[in-house]
Amino acid sequence: MSEQDVTRRNFMIRTIIGIGAFIGVAISVPLAGFGILPVLRKRDAGWSDAGTAADLLTDEPQERRFFQMVKSGWQEERMERTVWLVRKADGSVTAFSPNCPHLGCGYRWFSQDKQFKCPCHASFFDIDGKVIAGPAPRALDTLPAKIESGKVLVKFEIFQVGTAKKTAA
Amino acid sequence: MVKGLLDWLDERIKIRDLWNDFADRPIPGGSSWFYVLGASLLFIFSLQMITGILLAMYYAPTPDHAYASVKFIEEVAPFGSFVRGMHHWGASFMMVLVGLHMIRVFVFGSYKKPREIIWVLGIGLIAIVGGFAFTGYLLPWDQKAYWATVVGTNVAGTVPVVGGVLLRIVRGGTELGAFSLSRFFAIHTYILPWSLALLAGLHVFLLERAGAGGIWNAADRVPYKAEPLFPNQIFKDTIFIAMVFIALAGLAVLFPAPLEPQADPTDSTYNPRPEWYFYFVFQMLKIFEGKLELLGTVILPNLGVAVLLLVPFIDRSPERDPAKRKLMMTAGALFVATVIGLTIAGARAPIVNVPAVTSPSVLAGREIYARNGCSACHSIHGKGGKIGPDLTHVASRRPDADWHLKHFRDPRAVVPGSIMPKVDLSDRELRELTDYMLSLR
Ligand code: FES
Repeated sequence: MSEQDVTRRNFMIRTIIGIGAFIGVAISVPLAGFGILPVLRKRDAGWSDAGTAADLLTDEPQERRFFQMVKSGWQEERMERTVWLVRKADGSVTAFSPNCPHLGCGYRWFSQDKQFKCPCHASFFDIDGKVIAGPAPRALDTLPAKIESGKVLVKFEIFQVGTAKKTAA
Repeated sequence: MVKGLLDWLDERIKIRDLWNDFADRPIPGGSSWFYVLGASLLFIFSLQMITGILLAMYYAPTPDHAYASVKFIEEVAPFGSFVRGMHHWGASFMMVLVGLHMIRVFVFGSYKKPREIIWVLGIGLIAIVGGFAFTGYLLPWDQKAYWATVVGTNVAGTVPVVGGVLLRIVRGGTELGAFSLSRFFAIHTYILPWSLALLAGLHVFLLERAGAGGIWNAADRVPYKAEPLFPNQIFKDTIFIAMVFIALAGLAVLFPAPLEPQADPTDSTYNPRPEWYFYFVFQMLKIFEGKLELLGTVILPNLGVAVLLLVPFIDRSPERDPAKRKLMMTAGALFVATVIGLTIAGARAPIVNVPAVTSPSVLAGREIYARNGCSACHSIHGKGGKIGPDLTHVASRRPDADWHLKHFRDPRAVVPGSIMPKVDLSDRELRELTDYMLSLR
C-alpha cells in the first residue's frame, strides 16, 4: 500500500469510528434521560385525615387507613395508606410509617408481647419504635402528626429503608 | 424434492458445509449424559419465549388491570392455567438447570484455557436468568409479587451514596406503582430476552470456535475416542429434553402457578416470602443486623459474583482432572453447600404469626365491602358514612356468622325496621363478607 493509501485508509477508519461514537452519544443522552429522569421527581405530601383521636387507647397502637391523592406518572391516584398511631399517657399521638425500616415490609403490633414485629426478617420494635431485635438498622420512622378539632392529621411520606439514617425517598 | 431444494441452497449458501461443520464437531472422549444440560437450557429458553409471548397477548401491565388479566388467564382462558403453569415452572427449571450446568463445567475444568470467555459469558447468563425471575415476579400484581418486589428493590436502595437514586430508577419512582409495573414488563419482555438470546448465541458460537472440552483425560485414552455432536450427543440431549418437558408439563397440570390475593400495600398482616430460588438471598438479609446489613445486601452478593467471574483467572493451571484439583473442588463444594444451607435455612425461617390471621376470604370480603359501596353508610376506623352503625368493632357485638349471613340476605328479618337494603351477592361472596365482618373486633 502506498503512503497515500494508508492515510486514506486511516481517514476512513477514523471517520467510521467517529460517526459511530457521535450517533452513540447523541442518542444515548436523550434515551437515558427519558428512561431515568421522569422517575426522579419528588412529590410533596399534604396532611391527610387519619380518623378521630378520641378512639385511640393509651399505649395500645392502632392501625389506621385513609386515602391520599398521589400523582403517579400520567394518572392521579387515590392511594390507600396506612399508619400506626400510638397515643401516650400525656395525650400526644405519634404516627409510625407502616414500612419496616429494614427492607420495607408491613409490620404489626402484638399486644400480648407489647411489640411491633415484622414478618419478613423478624425485626422487633418496642412501642416507641426502638429496635429490640432483628436486622432493622434504625427505629421505626415517625411521620409528622397533629390533632386538629378531634382528628388526627398525618403527613404521609415514604422513607428510604435499609439505612441507619432516615431520609425521605 | 428435498434433495433438489438442498442442491439449490447449496449452490447459493453452501448449506451442506454449514450443517457438516455443526454436526461433525468432535467431542473428545465421546458424547455423555453430563453434556445434556446446555441443550436443555436452550430448549427451556425457547419454551419460555413462546409461552411468554402468548401470555403477553392477554396480560395488561398496569396496576389496575394486571391482577384481573392474570386471573382471566388463570381461570377463564382455555389452557391459560397450563400456559402460565409452564412459564412459572419453566423459571424454576431454568434456575436448577443453570446451576447444574455451572457445576458440571466447574467439575470438568472446562472453563480453563481456551474457554475462559465462555465461562464469563455463562456467569452473565446466570445473572440474566436471575433478572428474569425477579422481574417476572411482580407482573401478576398479587401479594407475593408486591411484597417480594418491595424487599427486592429496597435491597438496591441500601447501596451507599447512590442507593436512593438507584432505588427510584429501578422502581420507577419512590414506591411501587404504575411505573414499576411498566418498567418491569419492558425489562422482562424486551431487554432481558434480547440480552439472553444474544449472549447465549455468543456463548454457543464461541464454544464452536474454541471447540468442545470433552472429558479431561480424553487425550490420554487409548484408543483415542471422539464422537460427533450429531447424532450421538444430540440424541442424548433429545432424550433428556423429553424428560424435562414431561416433568414440566406434569407440574404445570398438577400444580398450577399460584395466584394470591391482589397486591395490597396497606396490608400489614401478610407474611412475605420469596420464591424458593431466592431463599438464600432472603436468609442472608436476615443474618446481618443493623450496621452490618450492607454485608448481606450488597457486599457479599457482589463478592460472590466477582469470585465466580474470576474462577478461570484464579485457577490457571492446565490440570482439568477433578481428582487432582483438590483445592478448587473443596472451594466449589463449600460454595454450593453454603447456597444450599442458606436456602434450607430460608425455607425454614419461622413465620411471625398474625394475632388475628387475615385469611384470603377476609381479604376477599374486604374487597367486596369496598366494591359494593358499603362505606356510603357504614364506617370502619372513622372512615365512611354515618347512616348505618359503625362497624369498627362489629365482631365484638355480633360474633355469630349465621346472624350476619341471615342479616345480609334480609336485614329486616333480623333487625325489624332496619333501613339497610338486602345484599344481593352470591353465597360465597356473602360468606367472605361475613368473614370480613368477623375480623373486625
Ligand atoms: S423488612 Fe422488616 S425485618 Fe426485613
